[in-house]
Amino acid sequence: MKRIALAAAATLALAGGQARAADDIIIGVIYPLTGNGAPVGLDAKAAYETAADIINTTHAAIPMVMGKGGGLDKLGGAHIKLVFADSQNDPQKARAEAERLITQEHAVAICGSYTSATGATISQVTERYEVPYMSADNSSPSLNQRGLKWFFRTSPTDETFSQAMFQFFKDEAGKGHTIGSVALFYEDSIFGTDSSNVQRKLAAEAGIKVTADIKYRANSPSLSAEAQKLKAADADVILPSSYTSDAILIMRAMNEIGYKPKAILAQAAGFQESAYLTGAGALAEGVMSRSSFALDATKARPAIEPVNALYKARNNKDMNDNTSREITALLVLSDAINRAGSAKPEDIRQALIKTDIKGADTIMPWNGIKFDATGQNIEGTPVIQQITNGAYHTVWPFSVAVQPVVWGVGK
Amino acid sequence: MQIDALLQVVISGLLMGLIYALVAAGLSLIFGLMDVVNFAHGELMMVAMYAVFTLWQMSGLDPFILLPIVAALLFGLGMAIYRLLIARALSVRFNRGMVQIFVTFGLAIFIRGFMQFWYGGEFRSITGTWLSDRTLNIHGVYLPLPQVAAAVVCLLAFAGLLAISRTEFGRALEATREDREAVALIGIDRDRIFSLGWGLGAATVGVAGVMLAGFYYVSPNVGANFALIAYVTVALGGFGSMFGALAAGLLIGEVEAVTAQLLEPSLKQVGMFAIYLAVLMFRPRGLFGKI
Repeated sequence: MKRIALAAAATLALAGGQARAADDIIIGVIYPLTGNGAPVGLDAKAAYETAADIINTTHAAIPMVMGKGGGLDKLGGAHIKLVFADSQNDPQKARAEAERLITQEHAVAICGSYTSATGATISQVTERYEVPYMSADNSSPSLNQRGLKWFFRTSPTDETFSQAMFQFFKDEAGKGHTIGSVALFYEDSIFGTDSSNVQRKLAAEAGIKVTADIKYRANSPSLSAEAQKLKAADADVILPSSYTSDAILIMRAMNEIGYKPKAILAQAAGFQESAYLTGAGALAEGVMSRSSFALDATKARPAIEPVNALYKARNNKDMNDNTSREITALLVLSDAINRAGSAKPEDIRQALIKTDIKGADTIMPWNGIKFDATGQNIEGTPVIQQITNGAYHTVWPFSVAVQPVVWGVGK
Repeated sequence: MQIDALLQVVISGLLMGLIYALVAAGLSLIFGLMDVVNFAHGELMMVAMYAVFTLWQMSGLDPFILLPIVAALLFGLGMAIYRLLIARALSVRFNRGMVQIFVTFGLAIFIRGFMQFWYGGEFRSITGTWLSDRTLNIHGVYLPLPQVAAAVVCLLAFAGLLAISRTEFGRALEATREDREAVALIGIDRDRIFSLGWGLGAATVGVAGVMLAGFYYVSPNVGANFALIAYVTVALGGFGSMFGALAAGLLIGEVEAVTAQLLEPSLKQVGMFAIYLAVLMFRPRGLFGKI
């Protein structure tokens, strides 16, 4: 009898607990939480948690989409509940985790996933199970060219980013600084290869010579041979597409052979990480990087300051190119779920298609968020930043620049 | 290619090769002594890198000064690993080989996970020391000083290992390697020799880790970047041969540097594996292997 009473009490307690949980909208989030990509993945986790807090809790309204808090109002104040999974940066593990999140955890949408190689496998699974995949920070242009119905990407792609780089060269030429040659330096996975393909094409179109085309093995013990090739080519601008470890290593390897490049303009990734800034130190002065985010654009984007304060409170660092896009991805996805007024994947997809958010309603320097038929945001306009005194500052487009470009790398 | 560029390639290969050699030496030592392949070898190097990073951060002292402290720490860690894990694994009756593999493999994953838990996954760097980021320019050929220092220390460590092999302990090591049953009869404590061997192996890779930390980033996965090359180095040089590890390390460093110049850099490991396979075909015990 006693046992039955206990069981009944336990059931009641469970039911009580679930009354709240039943309202929760479950979103799966896949990142590398262990392994080489872990620094980025753990920052991403903090970013998504910050975004979920902004959506779920009651607080002073932040001037952006989903910034007023208190849950999803069209779903009776339902909360966003995040379930994190570790891809270890392995496309096959990412695939398995995506499947688990959908079938076991009943996630109604998935966010991810930093590296493009994992984004590629996750989006195959979401396509098969018909749930939306919100790509926050996979930047390979090929990802949305695969005819997927359930793929959405808020971030600009490496194609848009590279176009911005070459537009920047053109604008600089107009001011009297001509770029005649570039050196491509890229890691050997989908990110580096896709990025370099676009850059090679754009250089040809712009009549800029490619004096070195260096594909290297990611996480190599040494990059000195690569540095020697860059030195031999001595291009006007080096265009690297690298993750953090290699970004630190190549800066040192170039210094070790006494090579001071004329200019470096990076495809973000590792070059935007704080570990790179400390690891490369003075060697990184003057290095430029494309960015989809401008922390210093606080005037045009009043939401940056309050969101950054919340993120910093949680993770003890400022938002960067990756974390800002991750926060934005969850806000945009949640806004779609709210507008759909439903947690059914098909309703969410329809709402995502109708997304039309103005740039000023986000923390990003973009024109806005609007998806084309392939699920790509067509309003995501990148910026170019340069490291001065150990921090990135926006230098292009000239309209949002906080300081002029300085040519030259290293102190 | 111009002569200074060619020299630069040769020097880069040499400097990296010496690091490879020293990382491999500790692995070869343990293998030669007791036929145990330590899959956590790269992780021991990583622990040494974190140790020197932490001590540097706390004390601000140069890694050079911290070198003996970290080597001693690693010596103790190596002995502890032997006493607590390897000795137990060796005492099983069945499938001893498998148990040894799994115990060191499990240890590797544990250390990696623990370090990520303790330090977070961030890439750390030791900066602003006597030698950081400094290079010497000799007629257009550049010598990065942290690597040169590492190379000198590697050579000294090899000299030290050779000197040790001449001592009584060294002879006991050699005897234990030859016939581990017979040594017990002449009063050599096999367990003690094994545990000192592990200490020495760990200290050796610890020295490599400290010197590497002077110019390389520190992260929980850094060991994995070097471990594969260390296994190839040991197999190429001959299991258990110190001189083999040195020669194979240098060979791999040079082959890697040259392959990267001839083929595209993403294929630079092709050369070293090609040589390894070729050696395996004609001399399966490795270049200097006795077994």
